[in-house]
Amino acid sequence: MSQLSQLKVLIADDHFLVRQFVRNTLQESKISNIQTAADGNEAIDLIQKAREAKQPYDIVFLDWNMPTVSGLEVLNYFRSRSEYADTAFVMLTAESEQQNIMKAIKAGATSYIIKPVSPADLSKKLFEIHEWIKRKRQKNEQKLRF
Amino acid sequence: MGKTAQHLALDEQLSMEITNAVCGAMEHTFNVKVKPGKFEIGEGMVSLVGDVSGVIGMVQDKLEATMILCLKFETVRDILPRVVGQTVSVTHEMTLDAVGELTNMIFGQIKTELNGRGYSLKLGIPSVIMGRGHFVSHFHRGKHMIVPFYLDDHMFQVHVALHPLATDGQS
Repeated sequence: MSQLSQLKVLIADDHFLVRQFVRNTLQESKISNIQTAADGNEAIDLIQKAREAKQPYDIVFLDWNMPTVSGLEVLNYFRSRSEYADTAFVMLTAESEQQNIMKAIKAGATSYIIKPVSPADLSKKLFEIHEWIKRKRQKNEQKLRF
Repeated sequence: MGKTAQHLALDEQLSMEITNAVCGAMEHTFNVKVKPGKFEIGEGMVSLVGDVSGVIGMVQDKLEATMILCLKFETVRDILPRVVGQTVSVTHEMTLDAVGELTNMIFGQIKTELNGRGYSLKLGIPSVIMGRGHFVSHFHRGKHMIVPFYLDDHMFQVHVALHPLATDGQS
C-alpha cells in the first residue's frame, strides 16, 4: 500500500487561492503528484483519463460550488461507478450547514472539509483519508482472493 | 419560522462572530494574525473607500442584510504571496479570486454562527468590486456596524447593514 507521499491527488476548485492553499499543505505532507481542475467538467475529464491510463487518483478534493458541474454532481457521477469505489472524494466547501454535510455523506463523500481550514487540520484529515484508502484497498484485495 | 430582525442586534456578540470569522479565515488561509479594532454602530448611509471589496447579501423572510469586506491593494499584495509564493506577481485576477473566496468564507461562517442562533439566513453569491479608491455604499439608511481590522501597517473593514422587512414582506 502506498505511503502518503506516493498518493496522486486532484484538487477541483474554481478559486485559484484554494487550489494553491491545498496544494501547499499537500506538499508540506510530502505529496507531490498533484493536479488541479478549475471546474466540474475538467475534473470529470481528468479523473476518467487518469483511470484509463491506469494511473487513477487516490484523492479528489471537490469544491461544492463549481462552474459547469458542481462538486456534488461530480461525486454522484463517480460514486455510481464501482471502479472508483476506492477513490477518496473529499468535499471542500464554505457551507457548513448540516443538510449539505448529510447530502455529501449520502452521496458517498469520503470526508468533508469546511473552509477556511488550517494547514494543521487539513494535514490531520489527510491522514484519516489515507487510512480510509488503505482499508478500502485491503478489503478489495481480500475480495479478489476469494 | 426562525428569529426576526428585531432579535438580531448589531452588538458585541455579532462583532465577536465577525471577528472570529475574519481572524480565522486570515490565519488559516494566509497564516497572518489580524487584530480587530473597536466596532462602531452608526445610522444612515455610509461609504467605505477601498481598492477591492467583496459584497454579499443575506436574507431571511423578515430581514435583509448586506455585508462588505473592504481592503486596499497593498493589503492583498502583502498577504497573497504567503499562499502563492513570494516570487509570483500578484495579478488582478488573483486579487479578485482571493477576495471573492475570502468574502465567501468569512460571511459563510458568520451566516453559520447566526443560523446556530436560530436566524435561518441564506447568503447570496459574492460580488467583488475592484478599482483604486472606489466607494462602496449600502443603499440603506438604517443601522450598520463597522469592524476595523489591522495587520501591520494595513487596515481593512467589515461593514454590516441590517434592514428589517415589514411583516407583509415590503421594505
